[in-house]
Amino acid sequence: MIPLFLGASIAHKEGSEDDLISTNLVALSLFQIVGEGRMLSLSNIEVVYSDVILVLKGVTLEVPDGKIVALLGANGAGKTTTLKAISCLLKTELGKITEGSIVFDGQRIDQKNPEEIVKYGIVQVMEGRPSFENLTVEENLIVGASSRKNTTGIKRDLEMVYNYFPVLRGMRQRVSGYLSGGERQMLVMSRGLMARPKLMLLDEPSLGLSPILVEDIFKIIKRLNKKEGTFFLLVEQNAMMALSISDHAYVIENGRIVMDGPAAELIENEDIKEFYLGLSKIGKRKSYRDVKHYKRRKRWVG
Amino acid sequence: MTDFLQFSVIGLLTGGLYSLIGVTIVIVFKASKVVSIAHGQLLAFGALFFWIFMVGLGYPLWLSFLLTLILASLMGFFIERFTMRPLIGQPLFSSFLMTFALFIFLDGAFQLYLAGQTRAYPHFLPQGQWDFGGVIVPKGQVVNFLISFFLFLILALSFKHTRVGLKMRATAEDHRLAQSAGVSVRNIFTYVWIISAILASISGIAMATVTDIHYPLPYFGIKGLIVALFGGMESIGGALLAGLILGLLENISAGYLDPILGGGIKDVAAYVMLLLILLIKPYGLFGLARIERL
Ligand SMILES: Nc1ncnc2c1ncn2[C@@H]1O[C@H](COP(=O)(O)OP(=O)(O)O)[C@@H](O)[C@H]1O
Ligand SMILES: [Mg+2]
Repeated sequence: MIPLFLGASIAHKEGSEDDLISTNLVALSLFQIVGEGRMLSLSNIEVVYSDVILVLKGVTLEVPDGKIVALLGANGAGKTTTLKAISCLLKTELGKITEGSIVFDGQRIDQKNPEEIVKYGIVQVMEGRPSFENLTVEENLIVGASSRKNTTGIKRDLEMVYNYFPVLRGMRQRVSGYLSGGERQMLVMSRGLMARPKLMLLDEPSLGLSPILVEDIFKIIKRLNKKEGTFFLLVEQNAMMALSISDHAYVIENGRIVMDGPAAELIENEDIKEFYLGLSKIGKRKSYRDVKHYKRRKRWVG
Repeated sequence: MTDFLQFSVIGLLTGGLYSLIGVTIVIVFKASKVVSIAHGQLLAFGALFFWIFMVGLGYPLWLSFLLTLILASLMGFFIERFTMRPLIGQPLFSSFLMTFALFIFLDGAFQLYLAGQTRAYPHFLPQGQWDFGGVIVPKGQVVNFLISFFLFLILALSFKHTRVGLKMRATAEDHRLAQSAGVSVRNIFTYVWIISAILASISGIAMATVTDIHYPLPYFGIKGLIVALFGGMESIGGALLAGLILGLLENISAGYLDPILGGGIKDVAAYVMLLLILLIKPYGLFGLARIERL
């Protein structure tokens, strides 16, 4: 490890924070070479919209095999953009990855088409739970299996999906445009599952749903993770809920990861409580950037 | 009364073909949101290919038809791949202009080949007519109508019941969402252009059995466009209905007014219809007020 650390600090003489980030990077790539099964890793991703708007400023994160990883952050922090960078849906809205790389299962997957990403086993469930509104529930689900060549497993998977989301079974012939928010959330997640993904990117599944429904959906996520081995990158503003089912979490602010750690630790963290869980003692919203500098440094190191 | 029935029957039979031309434009728009004005040229080339094979080269009917369909699908494929696909992501207006360029180019090629002369079309459809108490029903046109009705049926059923049809409907709703579900939207565009070109060539052959190949043949594409607009651009059923209405309108007005005004009412009727649509119901009979795209 020592030569690697040296290399990192030689390459980046200026800026101690940069140092730490690149050290992290080197450690990351070392991890890949060792090869711990499947994994998604983003290294230093920079995203620009319309050639001028810099939104992600070097995001580095990973989702190890079989884990649930949460990505937390305020509105406009760049969470959705991060997911779109992974699923390559950026391309459809003049967004571009200008720096860094995304590796899944040992392969570079940035610069692909969205439908190819689905073939690799990554499905994004977009925020706002968009469905094909004029198609029925079951037709929506079958479209979800579009990336698959052989059609034999589709019947069985419909059955599997209906077992996870029994509500949908009774609605299979219903036109999806008329579903309620909760039903629709279940539909879009099921549609994602029909592609038999290894990794699902969920964008704010809880937004605007009743607490009971949210709990149901998070339970199902946990079950899918356990039983189907699907791993998740979960974007949430409902940080408490997300942390309660995640293994690891990242906090993004202004297009940069400002903190990360095991979910169990973050849930206890005072700053997280204060800023993201709304449990502030002072009662004043602060940017995470204002929080004492040494604390952040410590976390990067330790 | 006999007059009225006579005009209506011919109007409906012709309208069936208009519906088919209209739907070729509808399916391209539905999937890709590109308004094509070059489909009349695809139609004319379909008719011409068939004539070349059957009359020019003396091939049997089935072979001429098969070869025409192959050439038509190649045309659809190449048009999509080399003129439409590079423009994905650009404003839709540039794709529209590209179909205008295709219109000019293909029309030039067609007129050059024709050199102002008429090519008499082979009589492979049943000749003769039925006479129902003074109302004449030409057998050939009935066959044309049935063929186009049959094609409509196949089209509607395959949109509804096949996997690729389902992908096309998903693409029609939302390009981005379809891609995120693993649909290759680009491939769908290619399929749609191929299917559309095949249908256009069949409608061209059918039309030429009535009109022969004559310089204005490609301009039936404009009628197809009117039908598509009137039907709402996205609706297959809308195109069917709009085509029949246009056929009726044109023939009835021409039947009564032509003898008084000395001809030409047919085309005027179509444009009056277009004007009315644009003024009163800009989204057509079954249209949706939304436009979005890759
Ligand atoms: N297509 C786009 N073009 C330009 N700017 C965008 C686009 N999409 C998002 N942004 C901007 O990028 C920033 C991050 O957006 P987003 O990733 O959606 O945030 P989050 O999901 O964390 O709320 C926001 O400031 C937003 O305005
Ligand atoms: Mg978002």
